[in-house]
Amino acid sequence: MIRLPWLRILLFACLWWILAEGRVDGWLLGCLAVIAATWTSMVLHPPAAPRLHLGALPAFLVYFLINSVRGGGQVAFMALRGRRALQPVFLELPVNLPVGAPQVLLITVLSLMPGTVGVELADDRLRLHVLHQDLPVVAEAKALERHIAALFGVGI
Amino acid sequence: MTELIMPWISGALLIVGAFFYAAGTLGLLRFPDVYSRLHALAKADNLGLGFVLLGLALQAESVAAGLKLLLIWPLALAASAGVSYAIARRADRLGVKPWRKGSP
Amino acid sequence: MNGFDLAIALFLLGNLIVALLVAARGPTSADRMLMALLFGSTGTGILVLLAQAMHIPALVDVALVLALLAAIGGVAFAKRAWQGDGHD
Repeated sequence: MIRLPWLRILLFACLWWILAEGRVDGWLLGCLAVIAATWTSMVLHPPAAPRLHLGALPAFLVYFLINSVRGGGQVAFMALRGRRALQPVFLELPVNLPVGAPQVLLITVLSLMPGTVGVELADDRLRLHVLHQDLPVVAEAKALERHIAALFGVGI
Repeated sequence: MTELIMPWISGALLIVGAFFYAAGTLGLLRFPDVYSRLHALAKADNLGLGFVLLGLALQAESVAAGLKLLLIWPLALAASAGVSYAIARRADRLGVKPWRKGSP
Repeated sequence: MNGFDLAIALFLLGNLIVALLVAARGPTSADRMLMALLFGSTGTGILVLLAQAMHIPALVDVALVLALLAAIGGVAFAKRAWQGDGHD
């Protein structure tokens, strides 16, 4: 008896339902698509690979949404004030997250957070461009690191 | 009740979205170097897209059609995060120094 | 609300044109790469608004595919930047 990856099947079935805008006339094609997608995902990302802790996902998403609105609002305000609102600096931070997906997620999300854009990530050091030197970037990066660590279930 | 209010909420969200797009363009015009322009586009434009998608999702005929609109957002975010990183790194490699107060 | 959706779409189109002109002006090649960002965000925004305003639901699919391609392109760009040490 093979254990079927029910979670993935459910996920892809939901995706098909959304893409078909809730119509039911294409379900045969949909079943094929779900099977193909599930099989592909099992090959490319076997279950043995590091798992996401889905319990930590809602908190992460809320954190992300709030900060992405803050980030957009802040940069919009700065755009209205022009360049006198800026005092850009490069900042280097040590990264405690493990190499791979967690680090990639960190630099990705930081580029959408208030005031920061990732410039380079090498040897556990992250170089950021910061819009104003007085922004509390270090504390916010630490908070984001904690969220990502919880998401991947790793300690930092 | 919802039928009456929904178009107004939707319209308001679209206007907020348009405002963020405009702010992104304004930032592109007024910010002095490629790094700070990147902030303006990566953050303001994506937030604008988020508000526009949310506004349109409220007008959608079915839940699935609304969710389909919202599905575009994470894709656009992934796109801009990847491209932003590539641009910032490219600028850094080209030796572009960040703008400092007082320089032209 | 359709005229309103169309008005917002046209407003975004104006934004896109101005932003493209500014980005194309440079001065560095990194500035010109900003144009790639604009299509992903403003381009998809215009498409979904047009889908609603002109009652062409298929344009949502176009926007979805555009966003998907932009995402794949973004990942490819980032990977290239990541690994292309020294010779870029």
